[in-house]
Amino acid sequence: MIAQDKLTHLPERFPYSCQWEVTCRCNLHCVMCYTDCFNRPAAIRQELSTVEILHIMDELAEAGTLELCLTGGEPLARPDFFQLYEHAIRCGFLVTVFSNGTLITEAQADRFASLPPHRLEISLHGITHATFEQVTQGQGSYDRCFQAIKLLLDRQIPLVLKSTAMTLNHSEILEIKRYVESLGSVTYKLGEEMRPELDGGAGPFQYALSEQALAELNQGDPYLWRDACRRDSQEPPPCRSGMQRFHIDAYGQLQLCSGNRRQSYDLRTGSFQEGFFEALPAFACDWKSPQEPALIRPEMHHV
Amino acid sequence: MTPTAIYSKHQDYVQRDVAGECILVPIRRTLTDANSIYVLNETGAALWNRIDGQRSAQDIMADFCNEFEIETDQLVKDFTSLLDDLLSIRAVEEVTR
Repeated sequence: MIAQDKLTHLPERFPYSCQWEVTCRCNLHCVMCYTDCFNRPAAIRQELSTVEILHIMDELAEAGTLELCLTGGEPLARPDFFQLYEHAIRCGFLVTVFSNGTLITEAQADRFASLPPHRLEISLHGITHATFEQVTQGQGSYDRCFQAIKLLLDRQIPLVLKSTAMTLNHSEILEIKRYVESLGSVTYKLGEEMRPELDGGAGPFQYALSEQALAELNQGDPYLWRDACRRDSQEPPPCRSGMQRFHIDAYGQLQLCSGNRRQSYDLRTGSFQEGFFEALPAFACDWKSPQEPALIRPEMHHV
Repeated sequence: MTPTAIYSKHQDYVQRDVAGECILVPIRRTLTDANSIYVLNETGAALWNRIDGQRSAQDIMADFCNEFEIETDQLVKDFTSLLDDLLSIRAVEEVTR
């Protein structure tokens, strides 16, 4: 028997890892959020029901999916979140939850502690009260987020804290990183990517840092600078979304990834097997290597 | 391994079949084993599937020999090693009678 942190010998195309945006609803309205445009009652009413999510989750388990990331919106804003979460854990998924942390009370932290996630990632967009709530647009969110971090640390939940660097918080990023490092077992992640809103709006881009500001930020920390240099010096590999990773949105649409929703397969009406193995391979992606038709294909015939 | 001992699976582990691999996923993981999953080889998986809280270790090995061609010594060695591993991560426990 071998202890591993992930499987290494997988078929070229296998539904190993799923990112699932289980809702676009959220108690906050972060300025750079790309899902908040669908955080409206009419859109929320169209989201997958509990029964539908549990059914699709069972299909994923049957297909062999191991890594399951529940994201949003704010996944804990779904009243049925823990029903979904606990079902996922009991199915044997390695569950990661992306959260803003502000809905995690003592009772919720206890529920996480009784069936711990593979990882819980909390967004931490400021180290001062003013910056944090300027980003989240939610009064009281700063105190609730830091309280949640404490509750989760007390219960030894595997935690990642992460920030998106933008004009509103770039002067606090290094301080956030130092705070996270002071917590010991917690990992820090810095994101730099801004995305258009799901309805096509460009709102988030007004908070994007210039290349020069990003470089200056990264130069302030040896680890961030090393990562930035590594990224800049390498040609990005061809996108492998849809090969071993895939995305499901809040309405049950199976897609290549969160950043590419141009084509979808409806899991409400079709099966996951058909969607992953028959529909997804035909979906377009600008970052995939072009498939050149072979001019000659060797074949063997056994007599 | 005590040949007459009976072992049962612990509910804190979920067995998954992922791409033909038999995997044990701990569902009450601690911070230290937060990233661990346990992969069983073919023999390990076949033995794990026979652990039922009813049959003794020697009954399981006898059943195994009916299906697979394997030297008894080798089987005892493999099953002992597997049970040691499973007991160390608390994936199985000895049933008290």
